[in-house]
Amino acid sequence: METLSFLMDGFAVALQPENLMFALLGAFLGTLIGALPGLGPANGVAILIPLAFTLGLRPETALIMLTAVYAGAMYGGRISSILLNIPGDEPAMMTCLDGYPMAKKGKAAEALAISAIASFMGSLIATIGLILLAPILARFALTFGPAEYFALFLLAFATLGGITGKNPMKTVVAAAIGLMIATVGIDNTGVQRFTFGTLELYEGVDFIIAIVGLFAISELLFFIEDKAGGGKEKMTVNKLKLSFSDIRGIMPSCFRGGVLGFIAGVLPGAGASLGSFIGYTLEKKVVGKKGYFGEGDPRGVAGPEAGNNGASSGALVPMLTLGVPGSGTTAVLLALLISMNITPGPLMFTQNADIVWGVIAALLIGNFLLLVLNIPLVGIFVKLLSVPPMYLLPIVTMVAFVGIYSISNTTFDLYFMVAFGVAGYIFRKLEIPLVPIILGLLLGPEMEKNLRHALDISDGDWTVLWESGLAIGLWVFAGLGLILPYIIGPILRRRMNSAVKEMPTSD
Amino acid sequence: MTTLNDRIFGVLMIVLAIAYGWGATQLPEPFGGSEAVGPETFPLLLAVVLGLSSLYMVVRPDPDNAWPWSRTGVELVIAVVVLVLYAMLLQPLGFIISTTLAVGTLCWRMGARPVKAFITGGVAGVVVFLLFNFALDLALPLGLLDFMEAN
Repeated sequence: METLSFLMDGFAVALQPENLMFALLGAFLGTLIGALPGLGPANGVAILIPLAFTLGLRPETALIMLTAVYAGAMYGGRISSILLNIPGDEPAMMTCLDGYPMAKKGKAAEALAISAIASFMGSLIATIGLILLAPILARFALTFGPAEYFALFLLAFATLGGITGKNPMKTVVAAAIGLMIATVGIDNTGVQRFTFGTLELYEGVDFIIAIVGLFAISELLFFIEDKAGGGKEKMTVNKLKLSFSDIRGIMPSCFRGGVLGFIAGVLPGAGASLGSFIGYTLEKKVVGKKGYFGEGDPRGVAGPEAGNNGASSGALVPMLTLGVPGSGTTAVLLALLISMNITPGPLMFTQNADIVWGVIAALLIGNFLLLVLNIPLVGIFVKLLSVPPMYLLPIVTMVAFVGIYSISNTTFDLYFMVAFGVAGYIFRKLEIPLVPIILGLLLGPEMEKNLRHALDISDGDWTVLWESGLAIGLWVFAGLGLILPYIIGPILRRRMNSAVKEMPTSD
Repeated sequence: MTTLNDRIFGVLMIVLAIAYGWGATQLPEPFGGSEAVGPETFPLLLAVVLGLSSLYMVVRPDPDNAWPWSRTGVELVIAVVVLVLYAMLLQPLGFIISTTLAVGTLCWRMGARPVKAFITGGVAGVVVFLLFNFALDLALPLGLLDFMEAN
């Protein structure tokens, strides 16, 4: 009951005209970003963060806008999957399987509409799950002491690579690099660390600069190397012919995909890739021989899309309740929270209840907005897909420059951003994941603070870190998070790849 | 298939870990004497973690991704130089001119026809400038075009 009244307050926040307007703007920009091949949700949110700052938005408004961008980007990913057979990111891969064949058969509009409905259902189910689960988890997390928090942060790093991650040891390298960058600046005993006497470094490295550099600038460099994305034949979108029974036909798929996706999203390390993968495989199992998967079965579009969007909303559960993001994009959202002086984690539910519930309500509203935007306006997004990336990426880079420049009005930050971009390019070449670096930058100060508290209480006895049962449990899970990818990762990746290869129309 | 990338990177990271760890031991003791966790404890821990995980990369490297040594490599260097110059010239030349040059050059190098590329850059620069200075009330530098403001 308490939850319900909080949620009502949340709606009061989210329905303020200003917030509603920015939710709409975010949803539109997000869909656009998601639809453009090469710009994933993490990049999109990263590029728009400086903008939220420069607009001088209130914390809840900024967060509402960027949550809408996040949800929108997950919606938009399917457009290029269906029309171009280019998945914008890994989770969108499964949507290509049946979405592109549907488009080839002249049913592009139906495929787009079905995927929009499935995305909506997936997000809706997951948001309801979030409303039910988050307060419980937050209350549970209040029992955490510094030792448990330290272990929880380790768990976050260990599982961040995800079970589809390739080399977990590289996740460790990346996390260490991120945490090391976080130690630059004046620490909380007042000692200067690794500043080399440079005034600009006294306050540490601004993670917004690091994020935009690592994601946006390295993306530009990668595009130059690939020169891909242009010249693909685009499908024409037919007039939409979708009957009520068509929609009813995909509802079970949406429901199954959404629930599975939500679970995959909440679990640390599983994420949207797993959500869409199991969403698809379950559909294949349940429908069995009656389906025509791989040849344009609508259920093959609905299942993974619901799973994908369910997972992305599910990933907000650990981010909001524990302050531990479950995916790259939620890590970027976490950066936004921290930079607005809001401490994420269980206390946020009591100290910043209006913000948390405002965001959750905004997520619900955002999904309705997205559904409304996505069915009639899909033509606009399709048109925008024809902007060649060779014009688009330089402009995106320019927006990143403006955003960073207008935070501090100094060019020092811009050099830093370019340096991070070059580093990001090299890391990606070496298959060193970028998200743990960001997470290290974000969580470093909190992690050190908790270590300090734990050891101060125990008078310097390190065993305090694994004394309670809860802490031991977290350490065990962290260990599993590092070991499992060696065992499950290759199997899962092989299955995803073979599912893609089986596709007769793949080219 | 070679595995040199991971090995070289691993060695570099081990060097970094040692330098960083050594740097941490040189940090001054905080005012008020030593505590259970000083400013050097956490960095030392990180140095050990980075050292060990990098050592693993040296011992068990993944196969390399190819580096673009040829013309693409030159294009990449050009792009980075453009970005650095953009940052350098943003204030002296002003936002509109530097954006026209930077976005134009990038579009052109990515395969757009030069005229179209620089027009794109110019339009993008003017639109964003107007948006920021008038709609959002944030001043972007005018630079060489400063005289326009006087009128």
